[in-house]
Amino acid sequence: MNAHNEDRLKRLLQEALPRIEGEPEPGRDLWPAVLRRLDAQPAAPPWFDWALLAGLVGFVAFFPASIPVFLYYL
Amino acid sequence: MKPHPYLRAYLAGVFVPTLVLPLLLTVFIVVRIVLQVSVPIEQAMIFPMAVVPSLFGLWNMLYLGSHARTRLPIGVHGAVLPLLMAPAGALVATCLHVLEFGSHGVTWFQALYFPYALIAPCFLAALVGYYLVWKYIVGFLNRVLGIA
Repeated sequence: MNAHNEDRLKRLLQEALPRIEGEPEPGRDLWPAVLRRLDAQPAAPPWFDWALLAGLVGFVAFFPASIPVFLYYL
Repeated sequence: MKPHPYLRAYLAGVFVPTLVLPLLLTVFIVVRIVLQVSVPIEQAMIFPMAVVPSLFGLWNMLYLGSHARTRLPIGVHGAVLPLLMAPAGALVATCLHVLEFGSHGVTWFQALYFPYALIAPCFLAALVGYYLVWKYIVGFLNRVLGIA
């Protein structure tokens, strides 16, 4: 590819691609927000799941003979 | 996207049964050797050792493959599994004489008697257990392995 063709290809590409309006970069630094999100603790389990767990523990405590059967299925 | 997502889904699925299996083995050995209770340990171990881990892995692969269409939460997806495993496990256990049906209840491991009235609460408890295990353990592993 000679220099003329290269210039022509460059011009055609520039014409074909839309020009970016305004600032090409965001107005603020986004990296701290990424770090905050990475460091954020996962959401605590909802009360419904705690209630289910309490019910399950209560059931197993009330019927300990069910433990081997549950283990059989795990 | 990381390669081999279904392989990673399978590995994440078999994690929990693989951890529970030695625990189950320990319980049976203690009951049989220490407490001198006659438990058919060889027959009782077949289903948890050969079927349960594979089913967990395949079920997690199914979750990965179907989640884009069903949008089912992973806990609910896991809670459906006992609907398949309960009859399958009972069938295997019956064939191997680990489970025996009586007139008023069933006897597990030739030692534990359960009246029929207790089977429904046990099944509900199993659904709850599976829901929690899949939501918090398998879901966590799926996120760690990059397939959630």
